Amino acid sequence: MSRVVIWSFLVVSLALLSIPASSFADETVCLQCHAGLSGHLSAPVADWQASVHAENGISCHDCHGGDPTDMAMAMSPDRGFIGAPEYEGVPEFCGRCHVGVFDAYSAGAHGQALEEGGAQCVVCHGNHAIQRASLDLINEEDCSRCHTYERAALIRLAMVETDTMIKDVEHDLDRLYRLGFAVDEMEGTLFNQRNIFHRTFHGVDVERVRKETGGVQAELSKVKSEVAEVDNTLGKRKLWGSVVISLFILAGVIFLLVRKAYEEEGG
Amino acid sequence: MTTNVSPPQRRKFLFTMLGGLGALIGAASAWPVFRFLSPIAADGSGDKVVVARGDVARGKAHFFQYHGKPAVLLQPAPGEFVALSAVCTHLGCVVAWQEQAGEFLCPCHGGRFSSEGQVLSGPPPAPLETLVVELDGDQLKIG
Amino acid sequence: MQPIKWLVDFIDVRLGVKDIYTKELSGYLLPRNVNAWYTLGAVLIALFKIQILTGILLLMFYVPDAEKAFSSVQYIMNEVPYGWLFRMLHAVGANVIMIALVLHMLSVLFMGSYKGRREFTWLTGFTILNLTMGLCLTGYLLPWSQLSFWATTVATDAAGAIPLVGNYLVEFLRGGPTVDNQTLGRFFALHVVGMPLVLLGLIGAHLFCVKRRGISSAPFGSEYKASEELPFFEHEKHPGGIPFFPNYFVKDAAVISFFIAFLLAIIFYAPGLFFPESAFQPADPFVTPPHIKPEWYFLWAYQTLKIFPSEIIGLGVQVAFMNFLALLPFIDRGPERRPAKRPLFVTCYVLGILLFVAISVWGHYS
Repeated sequence: MSRVVIWSFLVVSLALLSIPASSFADETVCLQCHAGLSGHLSAPVADWQASVHAENGISCHDCHGGDPTDMAMAMSPDRGFIGAPEYEGVPEFCGRCHVGVFDAYSAGAHGQALEEGGAQCVVCHGNHAIQRASLDLINEEDCSRCHTYERAALIRLAMVETDTMIKDVEHDLDRLYRLGFAVDEMEGTLFNQRNIFHRTFHGVDVERVRKETGGVQAELSKVKSEVAEVDNTLGKRKLWGSVVISLFILAGVIFLLVRKAYEEEGG
Repeated sequence: MTTNVSPPQRRKFLFTMLGGLGALIGAASAWPVFRFLSPIAADGSGDKVVVARGDVARGKAHFFQYHGKPAVLLQPAPGEFVALSAVCTHLGCVVAWQEQAGEFLCPCHGGRFSSEGQVLSGPPPAPLETLVVELDGDQLKIG
Repeated sequence: MQPIKWLVDFIDVRLGVKDIYTKELSGYLLPRNVNAWYTLGAVLIALFKIQILTGILLLMFYVPDAEKAFSSVQYIMNEVPYGWLFRMLHAVGANVIMIALVLHMLSVLFMGSYKGRREFTWLTGFTILNLTMGLCLTGYLLPWSQLSFWATTVATDAAGAIPLVGNYLVEFLRGGPTVDNQTLGRFFALHVVGMPLVLLGLIGAHLFCVKRRGISSAPFGSEYKASEELPFFEHEKHPGGIPFFPNYFVKDAAVISFFIAFLLAIIFYAPGLFFPESAFQPADPFVTPPHIKPEWYFLWAYQTLKIFPSEIIGLGVQVAFMNFLALLPFIDRGPERRPAKRPLFVTCYVLGILLFVAISVWGHYS
């Protein structure tokens, strides 16, 4: 068998196994057409494919409207196509789904400055190549494009501790999940608090962020103590387990000694 | 090892030790089986949650904890009460009550639910879970 | 008179138990050069007993329905006192049984114990190996996790390679076109009752063959005699040998104790060893998890199927190999049992082990 045949068979069988996960997206006419265009018209395709939206099955028409199955009517207003928003229309555009974030943003300094060219969603998150939000979006280089970094730095400071705590709890829950523990309720609490945390930032108000992160940390501490309880139980199990294992090993050794005694007697 | 103890004597001693070990291992094995088979005591999670009737005003939503999960009480018509889980069926965020519109809106991705928990629009795949609620004098008993 | 002596006499006068004791236990003599590998049979019986006991306990809380199976297992793991312990004993125990089975087979191969008119012992043993693999496969589906669902889908798909009847066979195995509730139902029935009953029968037949023909001597030492193919039945005796009970029995007990310690050590120190992440996600027929692969003892088959360009050839190779192993006593007819004097056999043996390990490792990483 040639190596080519073996490798191609491997690739094909692996590719076949991964079909269900990616089949939906590749079928839209939007991607089919735009992938073949050039320059800024095709860039969104690759950008989007690497995004967190693509990961969750949110495709072109979910934001821009239109018909993803009909090439002729794909961009027709009759099918709900609304195209790309203007600069000032972006927050409302994203806010159709990200309601909580939109509310916090609109009430905050950035939202109030929107008409004067204040930062909106795309400025920090990008438009098609959107990744999961992380603290790294708040940094000196990006935030000082329009103003000094001082206040942003304060906000980031207020958030770092909570962000670390969130990552810690995520890690802990993942560990417990892999051991077969039912972590659904705790995951739910974490999910909620993480959302509140991310949402709050968008009001870019230092005092507000400090207050909310206090609340988030309090809830997360409760989860942490639940995790500690589970770890305690695990520790106790391991201890008793070690005792019983030693008993069995001891029994085995004694049985061998008995065998030796029989051998000495000639059988 | 050289020893003055004859094999039979040694065996007897070892068997005694084995007997003791066997008893220990036997107990260590029997205990989990016994606990596994024993009826599980009700830990109170079957208990109903009680909310004062006065807390649920007409047209307003009262959020509370139901066995560790967020839940909400409504009074759509005088004397009629509805209890729902407040956990959005999309990805698990807590839904918010929109008093003007008389419906629930999920702040995470814009899912909307009616005052009975039915999905009106957005990504949620299923209605909000209904909880049994009964009115007992001045108290609402949920569960 | 002591109470125990009185009781034994009471039963003996009615059932002749002292006679049985002398014949089967204290008077049952084993060859002097019996070695530790001979204990694996007893180890396997002990491990199977653990599976049956833990299986019965799990049955009290497990629900064999696609909607409820996963949460019933979660309930056992989290709510039932020591439920986690019995679930882990059962799941990890299955893997330890596979290890012990392979070791048992390897020692029988190495010592040529299938020779000398012991073909039936080998055949029943080989069938037990296959049936145990079937028990592992059916048991695997029951938790209805992503791993359960997709590993079963891949495994039952393999039958589709058979020409003409392949597709029908796949549907027959599954009880439908896809793995669904009807698959769970039949796998459950087979796993809990069907296969265990057959297994008990086979183990009984296997032990009968061993005892009836007589235990073979190890082919080492000065006492070695080549295996004879007499034209009449002969029970192999070992005069002057070691009494099975209590002399060799304590060796059985020692190795059993060590194996149980090993089983418990995995449960308490490496509980995730046989549980990839997809084992904790409830089954989703629409989402295939990445890197789905069967358990380690099936990796060789999985990888062999992937190597060959045509599925039917891949399947054919496996079937041929298994048939070769099954019929080994009829292929290897030489009376020589000493490994040192069977260079061709030992070479194939070592190469076979290396190939098995290599293909399994490849299957794991591909």
